[in-house]
Amino acid sequence: MSDYSADNTDPLVRSSLREALIVALIWLGALIWSVGVCASMGYNRTEQDLKLVWGFPDWIFWGVVVPWLTCAVVSWLFGAFFVHDGELGQDLGDTDDLGLGG
Amino acid sequence: MQSVLGGASLLAQTAVEMQVGYGAMCMLLLFIAVSVWIGLMANKATRDSGFMTGFFLGNRGLGVWALALTATIQSGGTFMGFPSLVYSHGWIVALWIGSYMVVPITGFGILGKRLAQLSRRTGAITVPDLFRTRFNSSALGLTCTLFILFYLSFMMFAQFKAGAIVIQLAWPTGGELSLSEEATNVSDFRYHVGLLIFAVTVVTYTLMGGFLAAVWTDLFQSLLMFLGVMILLVASLNAAGGLEQATRTSMQNTGPGFVFGPGYAMADSGHQFLPISLAISFFVVWIWGGVGAPAGLVRLMASQNTNVIRKSIYVLSVYNLGIYLPLIVICVCGRALLPALEKSDQIIPRMALLTTSHWPGGSLIAGLILAAPFGAVMSTVSSYLVVLSSGAVRDIYQRFINPEAPREELRLVAWGAMILTGIISVVVMWNPVEYLQAFIVFSTSGAAATFLFPAIMACYWRRATTAGVFSAMIGGAITVLCLYLCGIMGWMPDQKIGAMTKFHPYFLLGFEPLIWGLLVSIVSGVFVSFVTKPLDESLISLMFDRQPMKVEE
Repeated sequence: MSDYSADNTDPLVRSSLREALIVALIWLGALIWSVGVCASMGYNRTEQDLKLVWGFPDWIFWGVVVPWLTCAVVSWLFGAFFVHDGELGQDLGDTDDLGLGG
Repeated sequence: MQSVLGGASLLAQTAVEMQVGYGAMCMLLLFIAVSVWIGLMANKATRDSGFMTGFFLGNRGLGVWALALTATIQSGGTFMGFPSLVYSHGWIVALWIGSYMVVPITGFGILGKRLAQLSRRTGAITVPDLFRTRFNSSALGLTCTLFILFYLSFMMFAQFKAGAIVIQLAWPTGGELSLSEEATNVSDFRYHVGLLIFAVTVVTYTLMGGFLAAVWTDLFQSLLMFLGVMILLVASLNAAGGLEQATRTSMQNTGPGFVFGPGYAMADSGHQFLPISLAISFFVVWIWGGVGAPAGLVRLMASQNTNVIRKSIYVLSVYNLGIYLPLIVICVCGRALLPALEKSDQIIPRMALLTTSHWPGGSLIAGLILAAPFGAVMSTVSSYLVVLSSGAVRDIYQRFINPEAPREELRLVAWGAMILTGIISVVVMWNPVEYLQAFIVFSTSGAAATFLFPAIMACYWRRATTAGVFSAMIGGAITVLCLYLCGIMGWMPDQKIGAMTKFHPYFLLGFEPLIWGLLVSIVSGVFVSFVTKPLDESLISLMFDRQPMKVEE
């Protein structure tokens, strides 16, 4: 996104940006899966089309319940293996005083 | 004979409702007592620290549970508007709320770590503080403050009304279980007493404990809500004969719209609750609206360390799974068991009443379930009070009136701001305005369109300029405001989509205003940044580059 001082960029900035991009992709994937499945299986149907999976309408099961469970697992994996811990740094002096922008 | 039986049944129901009323009032009183105790504990925890970080940021010490269960949850509406939508429109509401499946990672993974780091580097206590320092512009900070005051006022007034209504309805002789706005007509006296009790309670404990009191109460109510939903889920499934039976019966009671998209609507209304364009919109609204909410941003700034942020993802994943899908199941069971409720927002209290009345201690369990909305509203107001008073102290008093103010003076100003906000809210809501839920959606969309992309620019884009952030903020805000004005004033053709309320926006091409607000914000922010002069390199370096370690003296 930039050519300014890229070499000296704080590692936490880099890892945060990388993680944010992955998260945005996961969100996009969830949107496409969920809305795509529900739109193709669940809109403007008749009573005879109703199929249930464990009591859920099939389009809700495949379009919301399954992706929700998948996202819960992905979230765990993401937190456990992809998010890097790092030093957040110290507060600036006495914060009862105004910060740098004062 | 029938009328005698009918009369006896009515009497029995009234007796049970009064019993539940006592249970609910007991739980509310217990909740108020616990909240005040939490305020005292929070006061004790922050007494020895610097006032600003202690009172407004809890010394940046939020742990996993506090961060996970309080930073991203829109708790005020979870027990009030949402169940009513499921009862009214059916299974389609699962898709409407479906984006919550990714809230645990978007809430913490997009801005969490970086915002926490940036707020430490800048010494920022508030969101305007952070923007002002990051872009070295007092005007930008002031603009942020004004926007936050504007959006949070809408939120605040709506929540005060909700809090008053819950107390009114928990009144043992209330005989009225609706959480509806129309319920304010039942008894003005109960509403006004409820409003005063709510205002005094929430201002008192927030005043004592500040940010930590707000967070800890929020955590307490979140756990209470989880417990309530789990109990009600088991009870509802048991009463309805299982989910399959409930789905089939609810469809027979309504029509195929209840189990298919775009959702059930009254016959001949021609209304579509969730066309595909709005289904896509809500995948954007809930996610990015949550990420860009000022109260949520402050909590990320207060997180203890990156490990806490990471673990919060785990906790929230489980929590969300245990709240939203079960609530939908409960309301579908509700449509099967109670097919013709006059007021759809009665569904949770009615189900609590119906499914626990024959249990030992059922009144208290129903009371616990009814108390959850009160806790949710109270903790939401508390967190807004903190954000508003921190804005008044840090962004107005300290910046423009007395930059050298000592700790005690700052504390008095913070208290004054909270009390004044409480008084204004009571005065405004004495004759309550309508459209409570619509106000919440409006402020969520507006705040996200205003702050989300500027926050992303501040965190990740070196080339972002002050003018760029200004235009992103103002462009997003004006777009949402204009679309709402078009809808409310009726300047555009009537659209039969979305929730049915008079305070509705114009859905341009069928999409929510936030989508257009974000688009304008992104385009104007990027364009203006590229055509204006970059910020000073030393300031950019301070925000983005490795900093030399401080040597302990």
